[in-house]
Amino acid sequence: MPVFKTPFSGYAVRFSPFYEGRLLVATSQNFGILGNGRLHVLDLLPSPGAPGISEVAAFDTADGVYDCCWSESHDSLAVSAVADGSLKLWDASLPPSANPVRSFREHSREAHSVDWNPVRRDSFLSASWDDSLKLWTLDRPASLRTFREHSYCVYSVAWSPRHADVFASASGDRTVRVWDVREPVSTLVIPAHDHEILSCDWNKYDECCLATASVDKTIRVWDIRATRAPLANLAGHGYAVRRIRFSPHRESVLLSCSYDMTVCMWDYRAEDALIAKYDHHTEFAVGIDMSVLVEGLIASTGWDEVVYVWQHGTDPRA
Amino acid sequence: MAMRDLVTGGAACAVPGTAASSSNPFGALANAILGSSSKTQELKGLPGSTVNVPGPSSDFRTEAPLTTVPGLENEGQQHHQPVGQNYEFLAGFRTADNGVLADAWNEIHQPPAVQTQGGKIEARFQEFEQIYNRGANSMLPPAWDGPPQGVLSRFLHSFVDSGRAGVPFCPAALPVLGLSEGDKQCIRDRSFIMAHHIFADKSEEYINAQVNALLHSLDIDGNERLRGPIRGSYPELEEYWTESQGALRSGMPNPADKWVSEFARQRENGDPEAWAHSFEQLHGTNGWASEFEQEQSQLASVGQVRGANMSHIAAMEQSRMLAHTLAQNTDPKFQNSKFLQFVSKMSRGELIVDENQIKPATGSLTDNWADEYQAQYNAGSSSWADQFVRQELPQGTDKWVNEFVKENQQQGVDDQWVNEFSKLHVQDWAEEFGQQVAEGALGDSTADDWANTYENFLDEQLLASKQHSGASRGVYVFSDMNPYVGHPNPLREGQELFRKGLLSEAVLALEAEVLKNPDNAEGWRLLGITHAENDDDQQAIAAMMRAQEVNPTNLEILLALGVSHTNELEQPEALKYLYKWLQNHPKYGVLATPELADSPYYGDVARLFNEAAQMSPEDADVHIILGVLYNLSREYDKAIESFQTALNLKPRDYSLWNKLGATRANSIQSADAILAYQQALDLKPNYVRAWANMGISYANQGLYEESIRYYVRALAMNPKADNAWQYLRISLSCASRNDMFEACDSRNLDILQKEFPL
Repeated sequence: MPVFKTPFSGYAVRFSPFYEGRLLVATSQNFGILGNGRLHVLDLLPSPGAPGISEVAAFDTADGVYDCCWSESHDSLAVSAVADGSLKLWDASLPPSANPVRSFREHSREAHSVDWNPVRRDSFLSASWDDSLKLWTLDRPASLRTFREHSYCVYSVAWSPRHADVFASASGDRTVRVWDVREPVSTLVIPAHDHEILSCDWNKYDECCLATASVDKTIRVWDIRATRAPLANLAGHGYAVRRIRFSPHRESVLLSCSYDMTVCMWDYRAEDALIAKYDHHTEFAVGIDMSVLVEGLIASTGWDEVVYVWQHGTDPRA
Repeated sequence: MAMRDLVTGGAACAVPGTAASSSNPFGALANAILGSSSKTQELKGLPGSTVNVPGPSSDFRTEAPLTTVPGLENEGQQHHQPVGQNYEFLAGFRTADNGVLADAWNEIHQPPAVQTQGGKIEARFQEFEQIYNRGANSMLPPAWDGPPQGVLSRFLHSFVDSGRAGVPFCPAALPVLGLSEGDKQCIRDRSFIMAHHIFADKSEEYINAQVNALLHSLDIDGNERLRGPIRGSYPELEEYWTESQGALRSGMPNPADKWVSEFARQRENGDPEAWAHSFEQLHGTNGWASEFEQEQSQLASVGQVRGANMSHIAAMEQSRMLAHTLAQNTDPKFQNSKFLQFVSKMSRGELIVDENQIKPATGSLTDNWADEYQAQYNAGSSSWADQFVRQELPQGTDKWVNEFVKENQQQGVDDQWVNEFSKLHVQDWAEEFGQQVAEGALGDSTADDWANTYENFLDEQLLASKQHSGASRGVYVFSDMNPYVGHPNPLREGQELFRKGLLSEAVLALEAEVLKNPDNAEGWRLLGITHAENDDDQQAIAAMMRAQEVNPTNLEILLALGVSHTNELEQPEALKYLYKWLQNHPKYGVLATPELADSPYYGDVARLFNEAAQMSPEDADVHIILGVLYNLSREYDKAIESFQTALNLKPRDYSLWNKLGATRANSIQSADAILAYQQALDLKPNYVRAWANMGISYANQGLYEESIRYYVRALAMNPKADNAWQYLRISLSCASRNDMFEACDSRNLDILQKEFPL
């Protein structure tokens, strides 16, 4: 399956919700510790003889890009979380000189995660190392709301796929919080791990089901109605789990990537939860996504500066 | 930002929340000279720019109806997707024969095949060759004026990789990278946060050691202001500091900015330093290490480094050991790691860092070095060592020695691995050096000469480094030429001098005391307090740690350690000691919960002390600690309240007034801060820290002439206060007193005092 070499360390990859062959990749120079960033828009080439990935557009930023996501409302719009704390809106159909089309600068520290509201589709959230989350729409220059309850870096934010106003955030303060935008404070706090929590995601079929990934190397699946104990505790990664995503097609399937350089697929309900382990990255694997439009199509990227796209069950490198 | 003096002291020149505001000295200077900070230019994109968004935003809405339908259904109704075509692409993959796929794969990993893309040439990745050259660089926008990326990149690489290997990170020496302060700030903060993810299994100390090793070798902790805040405890201040520093640094070409450029020049071109550099390049820092170890006896006799620390020195060998360990890892991934190959080459001296590039070490280079050395050595009357010492020391930028000492000491932080490491037999560097020499142009005799000279040099450097005020964490650096050595009762003398406020003298007397009685906790404690009042928290911490070793449960010592670490923005350490204070307190010990002891969490500690304050509201110490804690969490109003409560109980505690002043300064109440400092000075006229803090507060209010007078007064009392010299220079510049720069640069207090009487 095709691979794409990025000049910088890969940080995040996202499939377009509109085009099944289109990808968004966030990269940062020097592992995001110092330097520039670049956002790539990639297309999978359809020609049968020479599979590959071509770059449709690339946008440079003055600091590393830690995360990105596509707009759910417009097929060429994407937003990126930049290490200088800004959020930048890009239009892939416009040349780099006309981009970014918006830049939102309120976070005082690195912006680490963005997620576009998949239900209302008119807003997106950002999570930052300044311990806050912010809610944004495109037609306002300033954020609509700031959510300040976490006491350490917020590493990840995820909208509920079913409720227009509900989202979850994961933080280094070892908690996951569930929020309703209409409420003044968070609705639920789950002390989900004993270490920093780097990522969270909602189950796409069960509105009460949430997964968390932590520095403690485990993934936990939670029912937010009963948070005393996790539904499942998935161990198997050798280092901190960097990102977790629920499958858009199978209720109990999860994809994760880790500092142990692997990408793992899990079925949290199965007795033997680990379905597959992909060992193709040669440095930390930090970005993953599963295509909504093509079942089983997976993308990953990492600090080895390569983007892989493959069908589940095949060798990413083959 | 210079948060170091938050509590006991006063570098509170920052005005929180106002980056480079014109009302503070750094900012004003930055604005005056440059305009703005030096990090890469904002490439594009400003908020609300007029660039057209595809369609007005209302269009987005219409396209995405404001429904509350569950997200999943959306997946089914994706608009505009050319499904057919893309399935074809997938089919393509499935049917394509393996050869093609393999080719595609190989292509990715093929060498240079230059590919034009968007007008830029993309240098393709190639396994190892690429390590030398700065492949990624060609991708950079040309305007990037940051550090040389190739070196830095590999370097950071080795840092992150050290996590997997589970080996402490000890990189080889790097050239001057020209990182701006802003860059350093980023590196520090980000590597710290990331290190916590990567080294999750390891202890906090280990993580700190790793990060410090990284920062150190990037020359980041050379400036103590940059060290510390764990995770932006004071983001506004940091931002401000970063910006002002960034501006200062990027102003290097500006003649007005002489000290910066002077410093930089020294680092880059200092001829006498060249051989040292070359040597380091050849051998990595390890070379020094083992040699240093051989010098143990000499060192011991000097009494500068305790025996226990000697093992730490071996730590410096570890670049080589790292390669060794990695090589033993059977995981093919590690075997193939670019990083492994890089490190092992580096440690074998096959790669050197030269002129910001990593190059293979060639014979000719060795020759150069040898020639250079030879030339220096034969230069005649003045030996190179003398030259070096003379040139370097007066500037206070005794860089490599300092660096070396620091490196040692930093690594001293992590005992575990050091101990482990010292069990290993490390190949004698001398052997290796001998080989190199044989291969190179040097004859045997020269090598002998060299060794002798080196020994002499080392002696001189040891003496020199002792005089150096920049003590690094954990290891106490004694003064040279102490007249109190041999004094019948140096402790009493020290106490007396301290009481009189003759702090620099008191330091000498107390040093004599602890040299005489290394187990005298009181001697160490008072020495620590003296350093703290003299505005030197590093030395204060070092002394207090010795005191605590002797007397682990002394409350005063624990409190002082907590405060000094707070000043240095070392939150975990500060919390650790404050928590220990609580644990060991006869009254509040019951509040402490043992599970917190290892890594006390801020919220927990604050809660416990609030409970303690409720238990006995009349205990000033508890309120002081609460004030310190609130400073850590930036709740200045609460901190002020706590300190005021404490002052009601202890109105004659001058250091408490100083704390109140510093906290007020931090919460942008410079005028009120001055009142508090004044109280402190009324109680203790020789309180250097308060004088300097007064200066800072005046500078914050734009009263630069006033601030200069206070800085000069503080410096007259303690000329070794490097921070105050820097502040003075900035105030001079802001007050347009460039005529006094020379007096400031030459540290001529006579002239300054005459010009700026208080």
